[in-house]
Amino acid sequence: MKLEAKNVNFFYGDFHALKDINMQIDSNSVTAFIGPSGCGKSTFLRLFNRMNDLIDGTHLDGECIVGGQNIYDKSVSVDELRKTVGMVFQKPNPFPKSIFENVAYGLRVNGVKDKKIIAETVEKSLKQAALWEEVKDKLKKSAFELSGGQQQRLCIARALAISPSVLLMDEPASALDPISTSKIEELIFELKHDYTVVIVTHNMQQAARVSDKTGFFMLGELIEFNDTKKIFLSPDKEQTQNYITGRFG
Amino acid sequence: MQKNKFTGKRANQAIFFSLFRLMSYLVVGILFCIIGFIVIRGIGVINWEFLTSAPKDGMTKGGIFPAIIGTFYLVIGSMLVAFPIGVMSGIYMNEYATNKHIVRVIRVMTNNLGGIPSIVFGLFGMSLFVNKLHFGDSLLAGSFTLGLLALPLIIRVTEEALKAIPDTYRQGSLALGATKLTTIRRVILPAAFPNVMTGLILSIGRVSGETAPILFTAAAYFLPHLPTSVFDQVMALPYHLYVIATSGTDLEATRPMAYGTAIVLIAIVLIMNLLANLLRRRFSK
Repeated sequence: MKLEAKNVNFFYGDFHALKDINMQIDSNSVTAFIGPSGCGKSTFLRLFNRMNDLIDGTHLDGECIVGGQNIYDKSVSVDELRKTVGMVFQKPNPFPKSIFENVAYGLRVNGVKDKKIIAETVEKSLKQAALWEEVKDKLKKSAFELSGGQQQRLCIARALAISPSVLLMDEPASALDPISTSKIEELIFELKHDYTVVIVTHNMQQAARVSDKTGFFMLGELIEFNDTKKIFLSPDKEQTQNYITGRFG
Repeated sequence: MQKNKFTGKRANQAIFFSLFRLMSYLVVGILFCIIGFIVIRGIGVINWEFLTSAPKDGMTKGGIFPAIIGTFYLVIGSMLVAFPIGVMSGIYMNEYATNKHIVRVIRVMTNNLGGIPSIVFGLFGMSLFVNKLHFGDSLLAGSFTLGLLALPLIIRVTEEALKAIPDTYRQGSLALGATKLTTIRRVILPAAFPNVMTGLILSIGRVSGETAPILFTAAAYFLPHLPTSVFDQVMALPYHLYVIATSGTDLEATRPMAYGTAIVLIAIVLIMNLLANLLRRRFSK
């Protein structure tokens, strides 16, 4: 499913957080957003499943289009949108429930009652998230017994269980150790066969490794958006060049 | 001999620390004194008959069974009134209300409600439930009055319990396409449940010991049989204690029975508080 932003301006109260952003994101690709802290990349990501709606006093001008539909149109149901556009958060946030129930949650709240379907979907999602082998014997245990990296993969499985078309990931590996991080990265690479993946990251090597396209944000503006190779090898803008080389010293 | 110029201050510190420590031990001491005093005087009358039979011979003999049951009914009745209202307003205040100003006003009002002396609740309950709504002196009127009294505590505890639930749970659930109501029902409330239960149990402890609110609304001086409907009067432990301590036919003879009643009442409250603590500890792991 394609994503598109048209003349997007976003405000936190009076603060102009995103400035006139236009972007097209291809389906079945991985797109990375990079940029210094506070540049607006996470805010921009959260526009696509309307998580910013939860913050008081925010305001959007422009259009965010998912699969041809402006998702800020009055006729759009936010709950339905979020079933199509899934999200993985920076810190693993499993529910205080069993491993099984965490993954089953999305199905249950969407009215799936058939136990067989639920069990099959849970298994499939855990396999997709490369967690099944590690948890298949302890599905009834609390999700809090898992390590941080496992919890994050559980959250990915939870998001995948309701078969979204788009997966938004907000620094999904920033709270994890290197081994867990590399597992998540492999996973992202696999996921693009079936999903449109958008990932916000502070780690530029990560962006370079996993993404097809990269957008560089600074002070609320989209400075440059292009193929990842191009961005990292020969960016058009000096600011991009400075940011990328600055980080690597 | 040279004086160490730092010693003076340290001695000062020590004196104050000792004083503070002594005061905190004093509080524990007072509690033990009260309980010990009552137990020593009343334990003699506690036996199976005392707990399971009605008062006899102008309340100089027999037991306190109707009072135990009456308190039990009042507790259940008041919780049926206060729990749904309290939990729902707590949910509204923490999960739904967007206007911070209104929430603050509600919170101040709730605290004020909690600060009203319980005898005033009794007076209000009498004029509204007993007289205006024609419940009469009854279990029903007493339950409503005690329910109002317990409301602030339940609202506050519910609000605190919900506040303690991390926002990441809410976001995680909403991001899966769950509605707000579903999120509250399936994630937030189950996670907050132990703390909400703690509040419920604490308010049970509070309600079971209150005398003033039931004085004009529910409590019977003497009622040898158990209530058969919600419009019946009931005996209740705290009021029974007051009665046999102040207006019996033979005050000296019934004094041990008053202490016995006090033991039962204190035991109920302590057990409730203990239970609340256990529950909190068990689920906070």
